[in-house]
Amino acid sequence: MRELLNGNEAAAEAARLARIEVLASYPITPAAPVMERLTGFIAQGTLKARFIRVESDHSALAAAAGAALAGGRTLVVTNSQGIAYMSEVLYHVSGLRLPVVMAVVNRALAAPHSRFPDHGDAVAQEACGWIQLFCENNQEVLDTVIQAYRLAEDDRVRLPVMVNYESYIQSHTREVVEVPEEEIIDGFLPLNRRAALDVDNPRAINVVTGPDLYMDYKYRQDAALRGAAKVLAEVSGEYGRLTGRNWGGPVEGYRLQEAGHVLVTMGSLVSTCREAVDQLRAAGEPAGLLKIRAFRPFPVEEVREYLKGVKTVTVLDKNIVYGSGGALAREVRAALYGEPEAPPVFSYIAGLGGRDVTSADVCKIFGLTQEKRRAGAKPPAFEWYGLE
Amino acid sequence: MDLFTGGHSGCRGCGAAIAMRQAMQALGPRTIMVIPASCMATIGGSGLKTAWNIPFYHSLFACAPAVASGVRAALEIRGIEGVKVVSWAGDAGTADIGFQALSGAAERNEDIIHVCYDNETYMNTGGQAGGTTPLSAWTPDTPAGKPTKPKDMPALMAAHRPEYLATASIAYPRDFIEKLKRAAEVKGFCYLHVLAPCHRGWGIREEETVEMARLAVECGLWILYEERQGRQRLTVVPEKRLPVREYILRQQRFRECREEDIEALQAEVDQRWQRMAAGAGGEELG
Ligand code: SF4
Repeated sequence: MRELLNGNEAAAEAARLARIEVLASYPITPAAPVMERLTGFIAQGTLKARFIRVESDHSALAAAAGAALAGGRTLVVTNSQGIAYMSEVLYHVSGLRLPVVMAVVNRALAAPHSRFPDHGDAVAQEACGWIQLFCENNQEVLDTVIQAYRLAEDDRVRLPVMVNYESYIQSHTREVVEVPEEEIIDGFLPLNRRAALDVDNPRAINVVTGPDLYMDYKYRQDAALRGAAKVLAEVSGEYGRLTGRNWGGPVEGYRLQEAGHVLVTMGSLVSTCREAVDQLRAAGEPAGLLKIRAFRPFPVEEVREYLKGVKTVTVLDKNIVYGSGGALAREVRAALYGEPEAPPVFSYIAGLGGRDVTSADVCKIFGLTQEKRRAGAKPPAFEWYGLE
Repeated sequence: MDLFTGGHSGCRGCGAAIAMRQAMQALGPRTIMVIPASCMATIGGSGLKTAWNIPFYHSLFACAPAVASGVRAALEIRGIEGVKVVSWAGDAGTADIGFQALSGAAERNEDIIHVCYDNETYMNTGGQAGGTTPLSAWTPDTPAGKPTKPKDMPALMAAHRPEYLATASIAYPRDFIEKLKRAAEVKGFCYLHVLAPCHRGWGIREEETVEMARLAVECGLWILYEERQGRQRLTVVPEKRLPVREYILRQQRFRECREEDIEALQAEVDQRWQRMAAGAGGEELG
């Protein structure tokens, strides 16, 4: 069924279709409507789940961890200060290999206080061991939340997943979204339940671990995270066959055929860049786009493959790692380093705290890269675009 | 079968371990135990060894009652009944860093039991002072004696109007076990606060752990009672109340305690005891 849904509504519909069993969330702007809609479903009886009305974001994720340890399929919703407050719990959930799914409605971190979009909140948690997926529109939000449970519960993965979409640009903007039939999703998403806390099979979890074991746990955890890229591609492929929508694996290319100059970005800027690429192509520029769908695990091999033979790479980052630059540009450079004839990577910080980035801005940034290339300039570490 | 077995790595004469072994007799094998950072969270196992014969999760410091809430929610939605879900924390994980999550779970009336095992110091990090550390107690970070009074945690939890609330002492195991059994039968949030001395933090000999827990009750400093629907009942009334001096002078941690501090404490204890005894008659609570 086609419906007009904003990102929050799309995430809630997806969680209903995924038949979540436990919802634990603390209200935060502008993510709270997801839990409001879901508590509505529970009240109407269209979703059989328990809502834990926790007193903080820290407890939200802790409660979700408890539910997942006891075998429940869980959802958490948060962003910005909430996810920063959860930080230590994020590491517990990934270390315990719990298949918790979290909708993160990306919002700039204070100070100064902001409720507007950027990726600073998710990027600040880049090392926490979660799969981090970014969505370009509300349809992808719905489809990705559903896929996240398949991915998280896959025996080769067993890791938590963040599904990121941006505050207001996505959370509060309605688009036409195709909502799949329940039977299709039930078939796609059988519950792969594994209860670690079980009175019939008692286990002690998270006991003191010495140097003889800790590192091996961590190796396995990281290997599972890296392996999740392949599983994501599989899951997306199967979902695509069922629904006609395949969002690709960890990356997706757009008009990359004979594209000498490629834009790289993630989140809502992807759809803006699609338009910009169309405009640039119409003007005779050999532009293309590489969409990063999975920021974690970062798809090193795929990025190398897609950017082979390219002349310039322009990375747009909606985040700033203070004193270092854009997180995405850093990853792309690291992936390309040492590749034969690796293209120069031009890095731009744009759109922080909700500053608008239009397709015209993207064309301008693309032009800045070309100017520097023609001048034979080395790419600077990074530049800010669109300062007042 | 012992559910928390010997061979754990607690100190000899550890009050916390005694409390847990007593509690497991009341709770039984169909119990899920969540314990945040504390001695109790770490002495039950390391590497591939464990003293636990029930499901146990060592949670983060601030959130054991929230984790327990999640465990209960999943069990409920899965239709698994007859399981006790317990968050068991030290005084820090209850009264200080863990208080927010505890208060939230109590207000939501989660169907869990929270047990505070109180040794009145942060023993797992070396005995620093915390919210329940007594006035004038020496700790590594209060070398001149703690300058402030402890929080009355049971009173704070009573203000949350839990389904059941009780204090306990490891020197009165039958009383403790009965109270836990009562809590296990109640649906909704229950709070138990058990005094479990730590000989290292208190500056006593390891064989004096239980004796000191008894003295605390006998001098009226630690009152054993239970509370349901706002009605209090004393469960242990010492035949003759001993002076608090006898308790204080036995413990190295009170070496900075002056004579006037002891007198003030005695006056406070007398007052409180009279108030409690007047309000809480001996009849059984329904
Ligand atoms: S330090 Fe105290 S509480 Fe900790 S294990 Fe030793 S006796 Fe028990």
